Amino acid sequence: MKLFLSWIIAILLLLSLPTWAQQDWIRTGTGLGVEKVRLAVPDFKASTQDPKTPELLKVFNDTLWNDLDNAGIFDMVSKSFYPVEVPGAPPDVKFEAWSSQPPNASMLAFGNLGISGANATVQGWLYDVKNVTSPQVLGKQYQDAATSDAVRTIAHKFADEIIFRLGGGIPGIAESKIFFVSSRSGHKEIWAMDYDGANQHALTHLGSISLSPRISPDGSRLAFSSLTKTGWEILMYSLDLDRMVTFPKFGGTNLSPAWSADGTKLAFSSSRSGDSEIYVMDSSGANLKRITSFKGPDVSPVWNRKTGAQIAWVSGRSGLPQIYTMEADGTNVQRLTDEGYAVSPAWSPNGQFLVFSWIRHYGPGAPGAQDIYIMDIVSKQWVQLTHDGGRNDFPSWSHDGRHIIFQSSRAGGEQIWTMLADGTNQKRLTTAGSNTQPNWSWK
Amino acid sequence: MAAAEIFFEHERWGRNLAWSAGFHLAVAASILVYTVIAPGGRGEGWGSGGGGDAIGVTLVSTVPLPANPVQTQNVLANESKGLSQSLPKPEVKEPEAIPIPDTNAKKKAKAETTPTHQKPQPEPVEEANNVVPFGQGGPVSGPYGVFSAGGAKGGFGVTGGGGDFGTRYAWYVRVVQQKVSENWLKYEVDPRITEAQRVYITFDVLRDGRPASVQVEQSSGVPSLDQSAVRAIQRIDTFGPLPSDYSGNKVSVEFWFDYKR
Repeated sequence: MKLFLSWIIAILLLLSLPTWAQQDWIRTGTGLGVEKVRLAVPDFKASTQDPKTPELLKVFNDTLWNDLDNAGIFDMVSKSFYPVEVPGAPPDVKFEAWSSQPPNASMLAFGNLGISGANATVQGWLYDVKNVTSPQVLGKQYQDAATSDAVRTIAHKFADEIIFRLGGGIPGIAESKIFFVSSRSGHKEIWAMDYDGANQHALTHLGSISLSPRISPDGSRLAFSSLTKTGWEILMYSLDLDRMVTFPKFGGTNLSPAWSADGTKLAFSSSRSGDSEIYVMDSSGANLKRITSFKGPDVSPVWNRKTGAQIAWVSGRSGLPQIYTMEADGTNVQRLTDEGYAVSPAWSPNGQFLVFSWIRHYGPGAPGAQDIYIMDIVSKQWVQLTHDGGRNDFPSWSHDGRHIIFQSSRAGGEQIWTMLADGTNQKRLTTAGSNTQPNWSWK
Repeated sequence: MAAAEIFFEHERWGRNLAWSAGFHLAVAASILVYTVIAPGGRGEGWGSGGGGDAIGVTLVSTVPLPANPVQTQNVLANESKGLSQSLPKPEVKEPEAIPIPDTNAKKKAKAETTPTHQKPQPEPVEEANNVVPFGQGGPVSGPYGVFSAGGAKGGFGVTGGGGDFGTRYAWYVRVVQQKVSENWLKYEVDPRITEAQRVYITFDVLRDGRPASVQVEQSSGVPSLDQSAVRAIQRIDTFGPLPSDYSGNKVSVEFWFDYKR
């Protein structure tokens, strides 16, 4: 599309006419001229002399910086530009030193960390340094145990608060979790980790092959498919109880469970009737209902996370696997991809996009690479997000709709990577063993 | 005898070897022939649907991420005095040269002053057209300045009336601007429209950040453009709660959109 499109908006003022004494007006607009906020985050200062302070301070500073950097809405000012004296409390802030070159920051996050006994106390502020008269955007105090885990949580919370404010209500993802399949213990088991790759630990110890973990919207249960004595079945793990809970077995090959947005239903694919088809059931396993009946495999269902009224899935009815959508009762089937080999759809939290893995040119001799794509479901326009080679598959959205986690073989074995939803800022999270099929928690 | 038997055995083994080699060659040849004759069976079955054009490309700006920063292209096209002052350059007087009483120097100076046949070269005048004279610069470039793109130009400022929301919470104004820009979907506007009148939209931001009372204050005359602007606001769940130390219970926002392509 070569047509040039431009639009402009403008912002003005607030006036309060005498009759609207308490009425504030913003005259504003959107579009061009919006830049990322330049945010300076000097290291927090120690407010006590406890010998554990430096260690915890480093954990805190690293975590806070990474969280804000990963958010993708800030232009982080490099620490080498900072003035020599960094503030630890509001009276220390020298506005001119931060708002002018070289830092040229518009926002400044600073604070201090102290340890008294077994408790760590963090005070944090967010200042609009270009607004000298009323600079404070945020002021927070946190108290928790003086351990590195607790301090990391405090940093996540403070980062989320900053992102929530400056991102216009974007929910922070710093406390979200990622569930994935890892073979590092010798068997393919379900593992969990923090969103930044920290704290990786195994959940299941079945000694079998477990695939496609899907966390429930409330974060209490994890559905996945596993090879049991009776074949591939859907299994359920309770994160509240930290153990497996019973779930009905259906026979045939049952794969890739998917939670509806309200957590009351599960969709999955089952070959109990011979051909692999999409089924929907209650989250208890009752009220099984088949919703597709076409020749050819139908697998990998996902619900529309916004409306809960549609299901996207992969169907091989026309040959190679393609992405389709339908209403949750099986009507109004629409095909989204028109060529190649498209699998692993995942619906964005706002319901607007599907992310999926696509080999656009598939076949002998075709220069096809498997990459992650986003498609706007209404206009069917798409964007390619990965270009760096290897097989990229199993994308999953973060609940703020701004991050995507996926598996990639670009660095050799299959590992888990994350990126912003426009394809930038790609980072690797796992290193040990083979790690696949990540699923991002709903909150 | 023993030797003869050995020869005999050797001969039989050789014949078998020949048979074996022949058979293997035949198998290899048949595989080769099959691959040439048979069209890629499985690939064909899966790939037969392959026709059709690509659906089309789109811009990343439809992804809910901050738009690419567009730098201010001309900060001078504005009559307002700059917030950043470039002071006039102080005149630095060069120390006066003290002539060295030297006969050679005198001669040299004389030689220089003698007229030559060459026409005097006019000294190139340095046009300092990129200098911002003191007090005449534009506003600071950045989120709150004038911006221009693709020939169209717009701007906004925040001025205080009785209320001072915009000056106290400039960061919140920026959030509002960014959120709406992310949620305006260009393709909702009738593709036949290339230019339209400015459309004004008003809405309130409630205490908890929800937009409410979205209205077209002044239509552009293009229904699809008006609709797309209204939908941009309606699509937003929240702008984030109003600043906690702000006393009012809502803020009213007016937008204007200049659509052009």
